[in-house]
Amino acid sequence: MNEHLLSVIVGAPAAAALVVMLLPSSARLGIRLASLLGAAVSLAGSVAALVGYDKARGGLQRAEDYPLVPALGVHLRFALDGWGGPLLLLTGIIIVAGVLASWTLGKRDKEFFVLLLVLVSGVFGVFVSQDLLVFFLFYEIAVLPMYLLIGIWGASHEVRAAGPFAFVWKRFKVGDKQYAAMKLTLMLLVGSAAILVAIFALYLQSGAHSFDLGDLAAARYPRALQIAAFPLLWLGFGTLAGVFPFHTWSPDGHASAPTAVSMLHAGVLMKLGAFGVMRVGMVLLPEGTRFWVPVVGAVAAINVLYGAFCAMSQTDLKYIVAYSSVSHMGVVMLGAATLTAAGWNGAVFQMVAHGIMTGLFFALVGLVYERAHTRAIARMGGFGTVMPGVAAFFTLACLSSLGLPGTAGFVSEFLVFLGAWQGGHLFWAIPGILGAFVTAIYVLKATRAIFWGPGPSEAFHDLADARRTEWGALLILGTGLVVLGFWPRLLLDPIDPGSVHHLARILAEVAR
Amino acid sequence: MSELRVLWMPLAVAGLAVLVLLVDVLAPPDRTARTGRALGWLVAAGLAGALGASFSVDGSGRAALGTYDGGAWTTFVQRLVVGAALLGALGALDDVAARTPKRQGEYWLLLLASLLGMVIVPGARDLVLLVVAFELMGIPLYVLAAYAKNDRTVDGAQSRAGEAAFKLYVVGAASTAVTLFGLALLTGMAGTSSLDGLAEAPATPLGTLGMLLVLGGIGYKIGMVPFHMWVPDTYEGAATPFVAFLSVAPKVAGLSVLALLFVSGLGVHRGAWLPPLGLAALLSMGVGNLLALPQTDLRRLLGYSGIAQMGYVLLAVAAGDAMGVGMTLFFLAAYVVTNLGAFLVVHAASGGGRGHGLDAMHGLFRRAPFLALALLAFLLSLAGIPFAVGFWAKLYVLLAAWRAGLAGLVVAGIVLAVLGLFYYLRVLQAAYMIDEEGERATPRASPALGLAIALCLAAVVGLGLWPAPLVDAASRASVDLVHPSAPVARR
Repeated sequence: MNEHLLSVIVGAPAAAALVVMLLPSSARLGIRLASLLGAAVSLAGSVAALVGYDKARGGLQRAEDYPLVPALGVHLRFALDGWGGPLLLLTGIIIVAGVLASWTLGKRDKEFFVLLLVLVSGVFGVFVSQDLLVFFLFYEIAVLPMYLLIGIWGASHEVRAAGPFAFVWKRFKVGDKQYAAMKLTLMLLVGSAAILVAIFALYLQSGAHSFDLGDLAAARYPRALQIAAFPLLWLGFGTLAGVFPFHTWSPDGHASAPTAVSMLHAGVLMKLGAFGVMRVGMVLLPEGTRFWVPVVGAVAAINVLYGAFCAMSQTDLKYIVAYSSVSHMGVVMLGAATLTAAGWNGAVFQMVAHGIMTGLFFALVGLVYERAHTRAIARMGGFGTVMPGVAAFFTLACLSSLGLPGTAGFVSEFLVFLGAWQGGHLFWAIPGILGAFVTAIYVLKATRAIFWGPGPSEAFHDLADARRTEWGALLILGTGLVVLGFWPRLLLDPIDPGSVHHLARILAEVAR
Repeated sequence: MSELRVLWMPLAVAGLAVLVLLVDVLAPPDRTARTGRALGWLVAAGLAGALGASFSVDGSGRAALGTYDGGAWTTFVQRLVVGAALLGALGALDDVAARTPKRQGEYWLLLLASLLGMVIVPGARDLVLLVVAFELMGIPLYVLAAYAKNDRTVDGAQSRAGEAAFKLYVVGAASTAVTLFGLALLTGMAGTSSLDGLAEAPATPLGTLGMLLVLGGIGYKIGMVPFHMWVPDTYEGAATPFVAFLSVAPKVAGLSVLALLFVSGLGVHRGAWLPPLGLAALLSMGVGNLLALPQTDLRRLLGYSGIAQMGYVLLAVAAGDAMGVGMTLFFLAAYVVTNLGAFLVVHAASGGGRGHGLDAMHGLFRRAPFLALALLAFLLSLAGIPFAVGFWAKLYVLLAAWRAGLAGLVVAGIVLAVLGLFYYLRVLQAAYMIDEEGERATPRASPALGLAIALCLAAVVGLGLWPAPLVDAASRASVDLVHPSAPVARR
């Protein structure tokens, strides 16, 4: 069991999906319990992996190796580096909370839980894969179920088509119901195509006949190839991380997705993109990184500020949260672009912090929407008196979003800006800090308008507060935010050796 | 005696055909659709037996004056076409029995005759045998395409099977003439009709013209752009279970001819055939993927998607080395189970007079969850999505092509594949997201059809999870044809 811990973490949701598939669709409780069990096993495994990680030793631990296609050097290689533990933990928390938050789903729930579990298996797989091709496989598995999840259970029809996609839509007479789902899937897959091209180039150039990330990192690539391949990986993975201007799928997608899917997508999936840029793009291509990093940082700064301003002008609650994700993912990319230990620690910590925070946000938005049947902020107001629990947790998420000390958001933003300062990137740090300030304006404005202003109006007098399993989801996520705010060492201790390990390669190469 | 051992697979198929003929003639004539199915099951059982036997009979060696080789390469291709025929027979069994209960012997006999040609093609080491076998494969298909000519479409119009068969026939006859002329020129270049002799001949201008003509002629059969015009029309007009077979097996045979002729025979002249082949691959990927986008008839959509798939596999042929040939085989194996399965699902889901439009799929997830699940797997596999066998197929093909210096084509292929995803997702959208509450009857796949779909599904998922054994087998088969250290003329 112990030496197969990572396989168990990756496999548990997939096994649960298989069980759910075999259950009759009338077994509503059975489906939910099986899903919860699968998610819980992964969460427990993630905790064990995080705790059991030997921080003093660092490096890759708990390695597992199963040949998949030995002829080409494709192996199912799992191992845990310093970053893996915290990110596994994040995924575990979000999926458990996501299953709890979908407890009351009333439409084709069997298929929903199957897809959700398959997706999360893919996410776990990406975080522990040490083989580039397997990494890519799991990445795709994490991305694709989204199409069905958003298309079937989402409110895709509430998003109106605009821009070039609208043109294509009309041309092929598809009807606009699944617009957001299709847009998201196609944009992410164009990104995947770019990634695949880069993978081919690296694999064949390395001459190692192996997709092992270590082997690929050890190979030396010509400077021209590095400079050509890095943007493919940066923008390919970056599309998923919401890198400007390829973030446009994200607001539409998140706004139209059902609650648990928004939680997973903004909470975990966008992190896969950032993780891919750092773990694959930057670590494998040091020279390419050095060449492109000014652009990466500048675009990230735009992300932070532009996302925040967009969020400020939205009137739909879900769009506000979605644009805030674009802004916060900019912080992650900003940290990555600093190429300093503090910046990278901050970036990884921000992945976890933002994941939990945005998961909480979307869970709460889902609750409010389910009760009030509206997401228009203008129609809300004074909800705090009828749903105090929801209001309290929403305020907590807002405080973390604006980076209040004592919440997880503060730690990561502080580290990232510290890293930017250390690296001498004032031009990135200043827009970043400005972005945090704008964030404070729009989140506080939204909280006040929804929960604390006058009201509630006649129609909303009988809104109910959170119920049974919903409390579970809120408590898990809210506790996470506060615990990480007061005790960041819990994650930073393992993250730091991971960052140092990966950075050492880049810095050595750059110094050469 | 050893000759018989080498030739066992063609003999077995021919024997099965004779057996079917005898049973059909001797059985009592007052057959209903129910009892008539027995003949179809007999064919399926015979093919399953041949497929199983191919794993234990060692047919390696030369026969028929050295014109037929029964080695690993031949066996691999034979397994593919026999497997395709088996799945196609299971899928067509009920359709044939219901359509013409009294005359179904004809259908099976023609099918087996065509299959006989297909199992000889990969073993042919002589141009004359190659042409004869290739024609034996093609001619019965023209007849089979017209099999549903008395059908009525959903809106009561005459079925277009006649048109389908006519198009297939005219195009096929023209391609035969072109191929023959090309092979004549090649024979003139080499001074012999044996494939081994071809490899040693110096290139001549007329020989190069011959290569072009053969490429065009075979290109017709596999639906390669610019010789693809018949594909969507024929697929739309002919009976769907037959199209399922037509869309895979002849293409396997056609590509095995390309690999035999160009990589094994004319490998040293790669400089001459690579530019036209590469261009055809690019055009096939482009035209197939782009023209599939606006299709609303599933058979036409799958037709254009098949054209695109041919473009990808041609990339592997264009690689021109052992890895390229191996990956051609692997791709074809994946293509057989995936495309055949997709057509069978379309057939099953269109039952009850629903037609073959995108709207026939509406609400499939609720009406027939198993069919919907199978459709999901097949479409994802065609689109090249991980953990379906189609992903590995595309991956290997592209990798082989990149390794052989065709990086530009590979990038174009990847970009076009993403574009192509749009139309596969549209079908899924129709099947999973659009639902009109219970106004139409639930389609019910018959046991044989269900079995065929289930087998395809198991192969797509199983090989997607663990492709290693098939990749190894394909690589071994390719080494039999092209030695990995054989000198390959680079561009």
